[in-house]
Amino acid sequence: MENNKRVLVIDDEVHIRRVIELKFKNQGYHVTTATNGEEGLDLIKTQKPDVVITDIMMPKLDGKTLCERANEFKKEWPFLTIVMTCRISPTEQEWIGKLEDTVFIEKPFSLSSILKCIDQYFGK
Amino acid sequence: MKMKTQRLYIALAVVFLIGIAIFAQTLILHEKRAKRHDILNKGNYLVSLIALHPIDDFAGEKRNFFVKTIAEQISSEGLIYCFIHDQAGNPLLALAPHDIEGKIPQDIQRRALYVDGLTQQTFKTIGANNVINEFAKPIFENGQKSGTVRLGFNLPSISLFTPQRVKLMAIMAFFAIAMAAFVYYGVTLALQPLREVNQNFKSMYVDSTPLSTDSVPNGGINEVIKDLEQSVVKLREKYSKIRAENVDLTTKCGVISFEKNNVFNILESINHGILVTDIQDNVSHMNSYMLNLLDKNRDDVIDHPLADVLGHDQITAFVLQQEALKQSKNASYIEATFPELAAGEIFQVSLSYLKGKEGAIIGKVISFKNITSEKTAERAKHEFVTNITHELLTPLTTINSYNEMLMDDEVDNKELQKEFYNTISEETGRLTRLVKNLLNISQIEMGSMTLNKGLVKSDWLFDDCITTVEGTAQKKKITIERNLPDNFPSLFGDKELLKVAIINILGNAVKYTPEDGHIRFTLSEQDDLVVFEVIDSGYGISKEDLPHIFDKFYRSTDSRITEQTGSGLGLALTSEIIRLHGGEIEVTSEPDEGSHFVIRLPKEEYYLGKQ
Repeated sequence: MENNKRVLVIDDEVHIRRVIELKFKNQGYHVTTATNGEEGLDLIKTQKPDVVITDIMMPKLDGKTLCERANEFKKEWPFLTIVMTCRISPTEQEWIGKLEDTVFIEKPFSLSSILKCIDQYFGK
Repeated sequence: MKMKTQRLYIALAVVFLIGIAIFAQTLILHEKRAKRHDILNKGNYLVSLIALHPIDDFAGEKRNFFVKTIAEQISSEGLIYCFIHDQAGNPLLALAPHDIEGKIPQDIQRRALYVDGLTQQTFKTIGANNVINEFAKPIFENGQKSGTVRLGFNLPSISLFTPQRVKLMAIMAFFAIAMAAFVYYGVTLALQPLREVNQNFKSMYVDSTPLSTDSVPNGGINEVIKDLEQSVVKLREKYSKIRAENVDLTTKCGVISFEKNNVFNILESINHGILVTDIQDNVSHMNSYMLNLLDKNRDDVIDHPLADVLGHDQITAFVLQQEALKQSKNASYIEATFPELAAGEIFQVSLSYLKGKEGAIIGKVISFKNITSEKTAERAKHEFVTNITHELLTPLTTINSYNEMLMDDEVDNKELQKEFYNTISEETGRLTRLVKNLLNISQIEMGSMTLNKGLVKSDWLFDDCITTVEGTAQKKKITIERNLPDNFPSLFGDKELLKVAIINILGNAVKYTPEDGHIRFTLSEQDDLVVFEVIDSGYGISKEDLPHIFDKFYRSTDSRITEQTGSGLGLALTSEIIRLHGGEIEVTSEPDEGSHFVIRLPKEEYYLGKQ
């Protein structure tokens, strides 16, 4: 199964990075990983991914700041940002509503739900 | 009252009459004394004068002259008789009433004739009881007694009621009565204010007595004095009562003053800012805490408008808003900051209303409570819950995802499958440890931790701890050096909790030591103690972090630490577990050189040989 879409996974948890990477590679995506927000932001700039999957609580640069900065790049090229979070509070809903093409996925999630989310975004 | 007055008047009249009688008697006595003195002088003079003449003069030519002269004296000067005797005692001349000689006692005549000097004798005439003063003096011629002169003077009777005396007494009585009337009037006048004073006294101790001079009793001075005495007694009682009340009031004032000072001291020592306003919203009280917070002097705030004193729009608006809502029943509050006066500090500003005795609002009480530490703790708690949620959900997500991959047969490679199963196992263990840590810390906080104590072989404890962390250490290529004694001391404690405590230290050593690092894990025996030491070549702990590493929820701000997951509970739990086992934990560390943790626990006298 070949897929030209590029996915960037940003999480300080090695197991989560690893399982998402395997799942998306099995689906034919080109997957890159980053262990913290700072590294992730650099990869967004350089690799211009189609999908960014990021955790919120991360060292160096947290997920929220990463999303806000990544939102600025979406004027140049659109991409989907999936934020893995523990709880979607009204405050976070309000916050995410201000960002372009950004959605929450609540932990513990299933990998298929992420794929479904991506498929919806790309209109499959 | 009238009877008393009448008796007093009668008594005064009797006293007056007695006074008059005494006065008259005194006059009579005085007159008698004067007459007697006069007769004495006159008698002495006349008898001496006559006795100067030779005896022959009374028989010769001069006899008539003497008779005539003495006769004049007899008629006008009280002279009753005059006898001139010769040497033998025979009368040469006798001028006297015809019967007087026979009424003179014989001893009187005899003494007069035979005495050589002047004699004066007083006697009563025989039968008539007239008192006569007789003066006798011998006549001496050429040193020889030639005769005797005797003169008898009648002591005149004095009548009390002579016209002159009656006139004098009448004048005196008039003046006495006038004086008495004058004195009476004067005393009455003088007593009037005294009565009024007395009445006023009475009105002081008998509250119902009207203070009016109309009802002043017109009694005598005794009555007034008696009343005054009673008044004085009553006044003394009243004074005693007032003094007792005064003592009581003084005591109460002292108590009130003490309580006022107490309240003031409480307001001063309270660790809140307290600001009180009057009904016009002018500041009426501000404690020292509040003055310090606003950096103002008391004189600059008292009686000044609240809005001017605070200079804080948010609080002023809050006060106005509360007033508009009429929320006087319950205290309400806002959170406010004073960036220029107390940077970084948060205050809970509460408003309540000051009420008078009848419940009417007479001002406002605004308190300023520094809630910075509470807010910090609240924030730390929120962060802790967020962290814990993250820590719980992350391994769950991993387990769920890996399980999903395995169930969907997306992992056909055997090695990969093994890795997946291992990861699921590791994450399950991680989850279990976290939950246990949470339960333990919760139980310790609640004071309900029960130690399941038993004999613990220190080498087994040592091995269990190593086994738990060595997988992670191997992945980071961290070598763990083991130092063990020849004999293994035993412990008496809760093995599972001791494992948690030591694994937390070892786990941190692995977590915060970079790849290719080194950890030395030592078990030794020192006196009565079993000692576990963990020495790593990790990032170390900064001087700022070192005093806080055993505090709950504390996490360093060092980026090398924060990039590792952690709840901030591990070391706090370890410290509590060691404390519960009667042991101690200490740490020394240098940034970038590593840390050295030492756990000392009491040993049990039970040894096993080295296995």
